[in-house]
Amino acid sequence: MSYRVALIGAGTMGGVHAGHWKTMPGAELVAVVDPRTDAAAAHGAPFSDFDTMLAQAKPDIVDVCTPTPFHREYVEKAAAAGKAIFVEKPFARSLSDCDAMLAAVTRAGVPAMSGHVLRYFPEYAGAKRLVDAGAVGTPVAARTARMAGLPDLGGRPNWYADPAQSGGVVLDMILHDFDWLRWTLGEVTRVYGKGLFHLTKHTGVLDYALVTLRFASGAVAHVTGSWAHPGGFRTTLEIAGNAGLIEHDSARTAPLTASLRTKGGGGGVAVPESPMAQGQDPYYQEIAAFVHALQAGETPPVTLADARAATRIALAALESIETGKVVTLS
Amino acid sequence: MIKIGILSVAHPHAQSYAQAVVDNPDATFTGIYDADAKRGQETAARFGTEYFASPDDLLAGGLDGVIVASENVHHRRHVEAAAGAGVRAILCEKPLATTVADAQAMINACAAANVRLATAFPCRYSPAFRRLLEQVRGGAIGEVLAIRGTNRGKCPFHWFVDKALSGGGAVIDHAVHVADLNRLLLGREATSVYAEIGSGFHGQEWDDTGFLSINYGDEVFATLDTSWSRPKTYPTWGDVTLQVVGTGGVLDADLFAQNITHYDDAAGTVTNSHWGSGTDAALVADFLRLAGGETAPNIATGEDGLHALAVALAAYHSAKAGQPVAVPMD
Ligand SMILES: NC(=O)c1ccc[n+]([C@@H]2O[C@H](COP(=O)([O-])OP(=O)(O)OC[C@H]3O[C@@H](n4cnc5c(N)ncnc54)[C@H](O)[C@@H]3O)[C@@H](O)[C@H]2O)c1
Repeated sequence: MSYRVALIGAGTMGGVHAGHWKTMPGAELVAVVDPRTDAAAAHGAPFSDFDTMLAQAKPDIVDVCTPTPFHREYVEKAAAAGKAIFVEKPFARSLSDCDAMLAAVTRAGVPAMSGHVLRYFPEYAGAKRLVDAGAVGTPVAARTARMAGLPDLGGRPNWYADPAQSGGVVLDMILHDFDWLRWTLGEVTRVYGKGLFHLTKHTGVLDYALVTLRFASGAVAHVTGSWAHPGGFRTTLEIAGNAGLIEHDSARTAPLTASLRTKGGGGGVAVPESPMAQGQDPYYQEIAAFVHALQAGETPPVTLADARAATRIALAALESIETGKVVTLS
Repeated sequence: MIKIGILSVAHPHAQSYAQAVVDNPDATFTGIYDADAKRGQETAARFGTEYFASPDDLLAGGLDGVIVASENVHHRRHVEAAAGAGVRAILCEKPLATTVADAQAMINACAAANVRLATAFPCRYSPAFRRLLEQVRGGAIGEVLAIRGTNRGKCPFHWFVDKALSGGGAVIDHAVHVADLNRLLLGREATSVYAEIGSGFHGQEWDDTGFLSINYGDEVFATLDTSWSRPKTYPTWGDVTLQVVGTGGVLDADLFAQNITHYDDAAGTVTNSHWGSGTDAALVADFLRLAGGETAPNIATGEDGLHALAVALAAYHSAKAGQPVAVPMD
């Protein structure tokens, strides 16, 4: 059989998911829900109303790619209707929303997966595999960074620029790192963060945060999140242990860089690319893993409990940034 | 000619300071005192100078300047002895001392004897740092909001890991350099420090891991990784990096990036061969100006050394308290 998929939210991430659903064996995209029906129609049968879509398109899977504050209403509705759920990260803007969704999904007994896609990025998956295999001995000190400019929605009202909706660079961006670090190093016990989140004079212009984590294992980690870098996107990671060190820098590993002469003879900007073989795109892989879990009747690999745990670390970092205090997680 | 003596060569930097004295046409190298006669004699022979078995005998020679490169806890004793002998200037290896009280006593003793006390902060003389400072002061990135620093290394062992001589581990050894650079970049004093400190790399009672958050008032913040986290196979001794984030952009400095990579089959190693400008000769040249009765506005004073030390000591406090602590001054 083929799973019928309804996509909710046809923005940047919805567009990426739509492309992958269309090439995914065992699944077909049957509906796209978005108040911007033109955007929805670009990817599939458009709907502006979820309940109408439910009745008409009869999906098996609901894939929630709406802005963060609008995850909850669709997850709850999809759970109540008995649908399998894929929900983008961050799980929610608040812990109470996380708990409400967890309760709804548990009550309904439906399978659900969270979009912590970093686990499907080969450099991050590979780094975890190396650490698990003892490549650095016991991990002691980790550093990761995710640096970019403020997301641009091409003229649409920018919900990323509103911390009340996006949670700024801490909840939207370095949540990825928090999940990966927790996946690799275990539970976090203490969070201290510094950032621009509470300084409203920078809101909507830039954000920058430096967060320190202590883990139950005794390891420490430092996470850089930037929406203050005007030029391009860059990630770095390193884990140092008592028997070695692994490091990765996206700026040093792009296998292809274009430096094109412009018509006028001047130099353009160098544009790096890091292509992957067909089917190995991380966003394809995470959805494929979800589909495989459904087919096998297994628990999807990134659970909503994982999603809540990562969100909790990010919210603790925001609390620390706002209060200036250390936040202890039990 | 400016007459220079070195009180103890316990710190390896004494070697490059000695070389800079030898190389300087305005200086005469009167001699070296060291508690370890063998080490002192060997070093004296290497630089063509005399070995003295007692500090007082060396100081009796009517020196203009003294370089103190003893183990951290002995700095105070040696600086006070030199100040008492009526030299014009003293260059003390960092950290200036192991307690605020010792550092303050050294500053007071020098002030009372009309002796110029300088702290050895060679990173101030890195051309990459000078250029960074020039750009920041010139407003290239607008208002500075945050600085992410690293000063990692390999564990130096020897007396550096004997707390009775060093006063601590990686934090006291490394934090002072970047704490000093941050002060120059920001033109502000550190107000509070939070630190996660650990000993996971070597599992000893001394710290080898230090992740500091340093606050400069309510709005400007920095983090600093002082860990001895570089493995034995790392191609170089360590690093000093600064990511300076401002309202108008980001400046990334890597003070020791100017290297040739050397793949050595015979040794089975990959190492970096540094070709960037050295910093110690410029530091010693400035110190010789002080010893010759001139001014040297770029050299770090005793007060500068105390400010940086206070950050390192606050980090130890914070780690013990499990929360941010005010930087103790006075
Ligand atoms: N995993 C990743 O790497 C990654 C990357 C980017 C975004 N995201 C996450 O994906 C989600 C969406 O982000 P985006 O960049 O696509 O945002 P976006 O603004 O580009 O797209 C959101 C879409 O949802 C629609 N929408 C808004 N309110 C809605 C509602 N109530 N019901 C239905 N549709 C609604 C909007 O019209 C828009 O088309 C966010 O949670 C974001 O954090 C994840």
